[in-house]
Amino acid sequence: MSEEASRSGALSRGHDYFDKGGFEKELADRVAIRSESQRPEGLPELHRYIGEAMIPAFDEMGFTHKVFENPFEGCGPFLLAERHEEDALPTVLGYGHGDVIQGLDDMWTKGKGPWVTDRQGDKIYGRGTADNKGQHTVNMAAMRAVLQERGRLGFNAKVLIEMGEENGSKGLREVVTENKSEFAADVFIGSDGPRVRADWPTLTLGNRGTEPFDLLVDLRDGGHHSGNWGGLLASPGAILLNALATIVDDNGAIQVEGWLPPPVSNSVRMALKDIEIDGGPDAPEIDPGWGQPGLTPAEKVYAWNSFEVLALKIGNPDNPVNAIPGKAWAHCQLRYVVGTDRDNLISNLEKHLKKHGFENVQILPPPPQNTGGFVASQTDMDHPWAKWVRSSIEETMGEPPAIIPSMGGSIGNDIFTDLLGLPAIWLPHSYAACSQHAPDEHILFSGFRNAMEVMTGIYWDLGEGATPTGDAA
Amino acid sequence: MSRQNTIDKALDCYDDEKNGYYKRLADLVAVPSESQNPDRVPSLYQYLEEQMVPAFTKLGFETKIYDNPFDSCGPVLLATRIEDESLPTIFAYGHGDVVLGMEGQWEEDRDPWALTFDGDKIYGRGTADNKGQHLAHMVAIESVLETRGKLGINVKFVIETGEENGSRGLREIIHDNRDDFASDAMLASDGPRANIAEPNISLGNRGCMNFGLEANFREGGHHSGNWGGLLRSPAHRLNHAISSIISPKGEILVEGWRPQGIPDSVREAALAGERAAGETGPKIDKDWGEPGLTGSQKVSMWNSFEVLAMQIGNPDRPVNAVPPWARAACQLRHVIETKQEDILPSLRRHLDEHGFTDIEITEPPEANRGYFVPGRTNPDHPWAIWLKTAVEKTSGQNCGIVPCSGGSNITGIIAEELGIPFAWLPMSYLACSQHAPNEHILKSLMREGMGIIAGVYWELGSEEGYRP
Repeated sequence: MSEEASRSGALSRGHDYFDKGGFEKELADRVAIRSESQRPEGLPELHRYIGEAMIPAFDEMGFTHKVFENPFEGCGPFLLAERHEEDALPTVLGYGHGDVIQGLDDMWTKGKGPWVTDRQGDKIYGRGTADNKGQHTVNMAAMRAVLQERGRLGFNAKVLIEMGEENGSKGLREVVTENKSEFAADVFIGSDGPRVRADWPTLTLGNRGTEPFDLLVDLRDGGHHSGNWGGLLASPGAILLNALATIVDDNGAIQVEGWLPPPVSNSVRMALKDIEIDGGPDAPEIDPGWGQPGLTPAEKVYAWNSFEVLALKIGNPDNPVNAIPGKAWAHCQLRYVVGTDRDNLISNLEKHLKKHGFENVQILPPPPQNTGGFVASQTDMDHPWAKWVRSSIEETMGEPPAIIPSMGGSIGNDIFTDLLGLPAIWLPHSYAACSQHAPDEHILFSGFRNAMEVMTGIYWDLGEGATPTGDAA
Repeated sequence: MSRQNTIDKALDCYDDEKNGYYKRLADLVAVPSESQNPDRVPSLYQYLEEQMVPAFTKLGFETKIYDNPFDSCGPVLLATRIEDESLPTIFAYGHGDVVLGMEGQWEEDRDPWALTFDGDKIYGRGTADNKGQHLAHMVAIESVLETRGKLGINVKFVIETGEENGSRGLREIIHDNRDDFASDAMLASDGPRANIAEPNISLGNRGCMNFGLEANFREGGHHSGNWGGLLRSPAHRLNHAISSIISPKGEILVEGWRPQGIPDSVREAALAGERAAGETGPKIDKDWGEPGLTGSQKVSMWNSFEVLAMQIGNPDRPVNAVPPWARAACQLRHVIETKQEDILPSLRRHLDEHGFTDIEITEPPEANRGYFVPGRTNPDHPWAIWLKTAVEKTSGQNCGIVPCSGGSNITGIIAEELGIPFAWLPMSYLACSQHAPNEHILKSLMREGMGIIAGVYWELGSEEGYRP
């Protein structure tokens, strides 16, 4: 069998996995585990995902495993699965996260709710299909296809599965710091997030960071009759909304000094020039005039910062009464790229609010349900490993992948780049309109089938010996 | 047989906590007559049929209940006592409905539907707004009848049950039964005194226009990382739209929402008035609102805009998504110089001129429609002068004049439908939390009001009574 082993043989195993229902079956079992990391009740499910969905699958592929408990109370564990074939071979660190955001069960309008996958045409609905269960399921299956075809991987594999990514990856940094040698590798290749276009394999080399925070205007306890007091008592709502309106202009461009990166570089502009933001047929309409003036849509999301009010509450929205509310609250988020003065984001906002006379607007830590902060990080586009992965994809697809210097979403990428010192290459499989943080999360079957080809090709090529490390590049 | 006897009788009733005023008030407060809750329509009927009708019948009034022409809106009671067709008829008024009980939000877990005595404060939903106040009028009438044997005037006492929901249907009922309601002057008590230390009459009220503002751009949220910076944010758009309506200092910025042509008499009366909340009231923000106006002027002769409630995303469980919509429940309190029918067109024009064509003006929620038209009786009208004099005679105190109270009530409807002058004699105080948890009255202050209103009803039927 090994004499017949070939790249195309591995690829065709991948096709079978998709075309004979293997993928959908494995994904359904994994989606059925309600591994919500933003709810304390989800903790047992986080453990169950590792114990029931991951470990047996890795065992079958001849991996050993180790589970690291989370140093933070109430947060999910980490799995490190490893298959070591030979010291001289390159070691690849893979990644996935088994936790998902809240199911938002009542809000789904498509499929069978968050916990039961449902195929409708090219779409498979379910919480975690895109973010991230479907993605690491494909990567594991691609390694399995290579193993079956070749009888061995031909490289050393480590795969990290974390269970708290949607809750800010709490504890990951600590666990990796404490166990650096166990996570040591030559290159990081992981999958999360969307491609630039559903059918265009994409190589992502960095990520935006997030800075979550709350704004609160707390003027007095309780409400006061809006007729008797209207005009006499300062309105927390009017103050908070005016304050927010100084942070971005009415077109979404950030106005806070110290909140923007240096101008977009020429090499980044070049890499992004052919990239159109296309989230597929159900993608929301992009308003080309929105946001930072002078940037293309790709530059806005892959090379610039954005500010959003994720949630806001004044008074009682379900039952408004004729009273001046005592408080107004907003939960906000800044997404920022490498190059932004990340250590001074909050103090720069403080200065900004003070400058505009909003002394009574307090900046507070975000609520416990959504504390996730990430720092921005990036691997250079010309790194040998980046080029190597690019050519592997090109061989599979017959055309080059899209290259994103920094993805819009946030991941704990700096743990791999800064802490472990690895070139970090992300190969996202989803697409932008997948509703991954909302009800109706889904993937495209066709897109993931293609991802299976891409990943199988990469893992095949990794065992062929011509890698940067193998060449002692 | 004298004014003082009448006042003494009323105060005896007030002080008899076991069987008098507070016994009756407890029965009234126990009826959960929430007009903003459609499930409570039976309680609104119960209030009139079981509490008001027997009480007015005992006072020699004939009663008639008018069903509300609008669905899920409460009925209106007209209790009439005609002693002599040649005597003037006073239109007295109260409302038996209350705002939502807000159970569970009261300090010390007080029950909104029962009286809780705590020192000088008596807590309960409706104690101030308005059950405690119209009950005082009824006790005053009873005391005059016991003293004099008759009132000496005719009284048409109207109790509506939808005031907290914008008095829907009241206009239609009065309009369709104008003869039943025809009167010469209106006297009622609602709301707080402008200054806790002295009685005042209020000669007008601001109107109230509730509406929604909404930026509704798409279905469902989209990952704020993948889409942040690309998708027009409903949050930013609505925040900016509202910031174009009201400045960070509370100035109204909409042309057409800044009243023009306030009469000098009103301006002066407002200037003379001083607003004092009492020790427990909220601190007034002197720098808030329209510059150059005193606190009293801000309320009496200016408009105020408020964001009553607003929601973006899921505040209980925020997720990292560009929210699909942003919604605000807003309100403009306005004086008669700002015509109600011009309010929303002015706003639309303002939003369009500022580029906010993507912001929709929407209907307010059914439970908080809040439409009130403004009204005002001039401070030099004979009814205002008569009442001020009567209050001063009875109380021995100066009676302040508030040309226009901040809150909204039904005087605009009365003025337009019946064409009569009106005056309010408020008995509560500004810090009574009347639309919030912990609504209460002050025992000492209400006692003062009880005495004054008893004296005023006595005077109305005396030889020096109001004779238009």
